[in-house]
Amino acid sequence: MNKEISFIIIDDSELDCYVTEKFLQRANQNLIIKTFNDAQEALELIRENNNKNEVIPTIILLDLQMPVMSGFKFVEEFEKISAEIQKKYVIIVLTVLSSSNDPKDIYKILTFKTVKSIVEKPLTTEKLTSLLKHVPLSGGK
Amino acid sequence: MSEKIKILYVDDEPENLVGFKASLRLDYQIFTAVNIPDAISCLNNNPEIRIIFSDQRMPGKTGVDFFEEIRVTHPLPVRIMLTAYTDVESIIDAINKGNIFRFVKKPWIEADIIWAIEEANKFYMANSMLSVKNDELQKAYNELNKFAYSVSHDIRGPLTGILGAINLAREIDDTSEIKEMLFLMEKSVKKLNTYVLSMHDYYSMQRGELKITEIDFNKIIDELKSIYIVNSKINNVLFKVEVRQDEVFLCDEAPLRLIINNLLSNAFKYQDPNGGIHSVEVNILVADGKATIHVSDTGIGILESHLGEIFNLFFRSNSSEVGSGFGLYNVKSALLKLNGQIEVTSVLHQGTTFKVTIPSI
Repeated sequence: MNKEISFIIIDDSELDCYVTEKFLQRANQNLIIKTFNDAQEALELIRENNNKNEVIPTIILLDLQMPVMSGFKFVEEFEKISAEIQKKYVIIVLTVLSSSNDPKDIYKILTFKTVKSIVEKPLTTEKLTSLLKHVPLSGGK
Repeated sequence: MSEKIKILYVDDEPENLVGFKASLRLDYQIFTAVNIPDAISCLNNNPEIRIIFSDQRMPGKTGVDFFEEIRVTHPLPVRIMLTAYTDVESIIDAINKGNIFRFVKKPWIEADIIWAIEEANKFYMANSMLSVKNDELQKAYNELNKFAYSVSHDIRGPLTGILGAINLAREIDDTSEIKEMLFLMEKSVKKLNTYVLSMHDYYSMQRGELKITEIDFNKIIDELKSIYIVNSKINNVLFKVEVRQDEVFLCDEAPLRLIINNLLSNAFKYQDPNGGIHSVEVNILVADGKATIHVSDTGIGILESHLGEIFNLFFRSNSSEVGSGFGLYNVKSALLKLNGQIEVTSVLHQGTTFKVTIPSI
């Protein structure tokens, strides 16, 4: 696996962040992983790194239902950042899917060009492996 | 019947109106109009009119035209056509366009009119009951929708988190890591537990009658104190309590307790981990037939833009995991039951004060 990938995990649940982080570490010990319980803070970090050229390709694992800033809002705000920076990131939605989820919501999140895929919680090793295999990293385009 | 049924009769011949009114005014409240504009203004001024009789042949507009028009603007009153003409065309129009309830043939006899009125009134009552029930149903349904959504997110969320952790734990041998995970799993389970408890509160506040007793605030506070003193000690939060009650206070204890408990629980829950001195203060004053309760904390505070929304069901102002989005909504429902009021003032990173006023019953 490419060592030059970093991960940002955004989830309001501490447990989910921890579990996702551990799964990633088990897949590759050298990954740089940052976790955020608050999407706003993640967004600020991405914005702050704006002027740094050496941002390495990053996969954002994003929960949808979060208080204060939801996953939807995060993606909207993210797509306002300069295209140069956006190119460095790929967003994967990692969320609980249920019958009461509005299918329109799920469809809507996929219409954002920076959102590449949806993975249903709970995360497992199999899901993670297939995800890492199939996600086109931004740098590749 | 407490009030007379209100009826409007429209006819271009004044003597018809007089005759109608004379024979029916004892049992019903009769409004009359000699033309359609008068009839419409009468309807606007008297929205409680339940039944409208109209003549078919009038100069300008016909009775059918009139009914067709008010069917949209005044849909509630029941429409009855009075006509001497057995003109098939106009009868068909009246039914199709005017959507009338009944025909009465001119010259009318009193029994026919009364019968038509009684039937029309039954129809009106059934319809309005239906629309009241419909509104209630719609409200309940909307709430249920919100509920189903939140239940799936707030219950399944922590559950899938725990499931994910179990999947992971299977592959981990390091006991310290497992212990850390158990700690986080415990937090999720506690959160679920709180959620289920407040869901119970939610339902008990939605229904049920008041049980009025004499309230001893000192006793309530002493009981709550014994619960929160543990939290106060563990997290080093100063807990100050002051109760002044010199008069009898009548109220339902369950919602009252729910209000104080929720506010206290929030005050302890949302302490600022980075702040200096942590404190929670409760001040209860019972005087002049009302109780004024202040609950203040030195907590994280609430964003000003969120203040208007914190009492909404499932609203969460904070990304910390502890909130269920039920607490303050339940407080508001309880206050609604007790006819009380709540005000909130808050400064971000400094603290929040809730002021509750409840009248003695």
